[in-house]
Amino acid sequence: MLTDVFTLAQAEKEERLRGELIGLMAHHRRNCPPYDRILAALGAETEPATLADLPWLPVRLFKTRKLASVPDDEVIRVLTSSGTTGQVSRIHLDREAAATQSRMLARTLGAVLGPRRLPMIVVDRSGVVGDRRSYSARGAGALGMVNFGRDHLWLLDADDRPDVAALKDFLARHGDAPFLIFGFTFMVWRYLYEVARDHGLDLSQGILVHSGGWKKLADQAVDNAEFRRRFAADSGLTRIHNFYGMVEQIGTVFLEGPEGGALYCPDFADVIIRDPETWREAPVGTPGLVEVLSTLPTSYPGNVLLTEDVGVVHGVDDGHWPGKRFSVVGRLPRAEARGCSDTYAGGRS
Amino acid sequence: MTVRMRFPTGPELPVDEVLPATAQGDPGSVRDGSPLAVGDERIVDFLTRVSRRLLAPALARRHPELGSLGFFLRRRELLRAVERLRAALDPQTLAFPRGVVFHIPPANVDTVFVYSWALAALAGNTNVVRISPRSAAAADTILEVLNESLTEADPVVARTQRMVTYGHDDAVTAHFSARCDVRVVWGGDGAVNAVRRHPLAPAARDLTFPDRSSFAALSVAGWEVATPAARRDAVLGFVNDAYWFDQAACSSPRAVFLVGDADRAEAVRAEFVGLLGVAARERGWEVDAAMAVEKRVGAYGLAADGGVAAMAFPDNLVAALDLRTPAAAPRHWLGTGTFGFVTVPDLAELVPFVRRRDQTLTHFGFEADELREFARQLAGRGIDRIVPFGAALRFAPVWDGYDLFREFVRLVTVDA
Repeated sequence: MLTDVFTLAQAEKEERLRGELIGLMAHHRRNCPPYDRILAALGAETEPATLADLPWLPVRLFKTRKLASVPDDEVIRVLTSSGTTGQVSRIHLDREAAATQSRMLARTLGAVLGPRRLPMIVVDRSGVVGDRRSYSARGAGALGMVNFGRDHLWLLDADDRPDVAALKDFLARHGDAPFLIFGFTFMVWRYLYEVARDHGLDLSQGILVHSGGWKKLADQAVDNAEFRRRFAADSGLTRIHNFYGMVEQIGTVFLEGPEGGALYCPDFADVIIRDPETWREAPVGTPGLVEVLSTLPTSYPGNVLLTEDVGVVHGVDDGHWPGKRFSVVGRLPRAEARGCSDTYAGGRS
Repeated sequence: MTVRMRFPTGPELPVDEVLPATAQGDPGSVRDGSPLAVGDERIVDFLTRVSRRLLAPALARRHPELGSLGFFLRRRELLRAVERLRAALDPQTLAFPRGVVFHIPPANVDTVFVYSWALAALAGNTNVVRISPRSAAAADTILEVLNESLTEADPVVARTQRMVTYGHDDAVTAHFSARCDVRVVWGGDGAVNAVRRHPLAPAARDLTFPDRSSFAALSVAGWEVATPAARRDAVLGFVNDAYWFDQAACSSPRAVFLVGDADRAEAVRAEFVGLLGVAARERGWEVDAAMAVEKRVGAYGLAADGGVAAMAFPDNLVAALDLRTPAAAPRHWLGTGTFGFVTVPDLAELVPFVRRRDQTLTHFGFEADELREFARQLAGRGIDRIVPFGAALRFAPVWDGYDLFREFVRLVTVDA
């Protein structure tokens, strides 16, 4: 039986998280010397008074340094996420951390999927789940998710073309009871929405879980509201849950509530929006950089991370679930310097 | 295969037609006028006109960075460079242009191409300069000035001086590489290595200006005896050195060595950092959110490696890292306005730390003899220039250990 993870009001959550995160901070300082050196150089307190006072790491640090809190021989999996610049985050998981992250992901998604495994459409091709030692972000996303479904349909063929006949067949077998759809936001739009619309398919029993951001859809003027409106109007699909998460905090997802339009934090996680000038917490309604907090990372010091995403908190304890309601509204551009390096990248483009 | 002609401005041109026929192994066919000589009056005249335009008040207001270029190209400066070369040669030795010089300057430091090109032109060479398609506004302004100045110039200038733009087209780079006598490559180590894949003619040579690192030295005693005004001026100079190219220029200081008594250095450092923030803000420099995060990534990474005892981010403009040893000083860019600080008892302590890639040491508060003694101790193993605060970015004809003008001529000896 899954227990609900969207239960704690903000004050109670902050009190609980503060204690747990202080403990984790001490654990990582003992077991990850580079992390300890960073906190020592920052003069970090051992018992910060509030969540906002906890020292954060820039998430990109996992691309430039190896940060692990377990010995190499206990690492059973190294997750990687590639960035646009070719640098790759490396996230080290031991057995316990790997188990915890998948269990907590299941509990979080259970809030909208229910306790049973549902028939599942993956808007991707099966080959995306490849090497089991080192997963790509796209593979890890799909692999983590496939466990929540059964009777999987991988919608795309080897050339990334949607298999319409197979989709119709899936819907004929499973389409009149709840089924799960998973995919990256832009792929769901490009490969599922358009196919469903053009073929008049009925997705009204579907529960869509998607992630990946809106950047690739911006040129088509599709934002979250438009995405939901058109799916509902053209396919009957209304149970849509966007989520926000990253490989550097694997297992923690911030999930869009049933009412749509805002992300919620599970009980073991929180967000803080920071003003990038003062670095203090920004008030409700004011955009800033998204800091993500989670108690899940135990094998690497990823509990408190400053992302390069821009977000805004819409309200606290005033939505479908308790805690903060927020959106991610964009991403910082990559900082570029005018220096004299890198003049001629001959042959690269 | 074509390139866009930026100077003399014109339409796309096939690469075969960029270089004049005389420059391509056919020295006999000098059709119009005599070939260029070292210090040729026609080039001096042209560069002087360019200098005057760059120093015109309206332009200097729009692009203050072009002012120093304007000074560099003044007639007196040009003649001095020629004179210096002549004086160094014995009577049996004659200097001539090397032939064709192919310049590949950096895209993002907008003015550096003019310096190496102007010296090569002054030496009488035919030049091809690749202007990056990513070049900034100042580069466009310079090209406008060059083209305007062309109308009054001798036709030999347009015939022998070529500036072109093309994308990352290896074939074009290969074409000019095979046909030049000297290739001048600026940029990161990767850029230099990429260009080097294209062979030169057997007798041709490369002048490379790869990644370098630079530092500042601040005398504790020198600071203490300086007047408040002198301290402020020093900080303003340092701000210029550091922030002009987002601290990413090769000659921008990445760390400050406080030289002197460790106890007294604390107060000096605190005052310096304080003034630094004020001066950077007054000068209008800004560090946006993306750069502020970049600095955290850079500084935290250095701290993770050890060697950073403490780091402080009083605001986004200035990050101060307290280094445990000189060896912890960052040689790579960590984001605009990120400075390591470490105290050493005297300059000699820095000697074991210096490497080949170290380029500029900016200084404040030292005696000339101290600096010269330090240079002698370094013995050329690294640090090619030692200049006052504020002069880090000022281009000089001797750069990265090369006397550029000298590199652009060939010597013929006549022993009668």
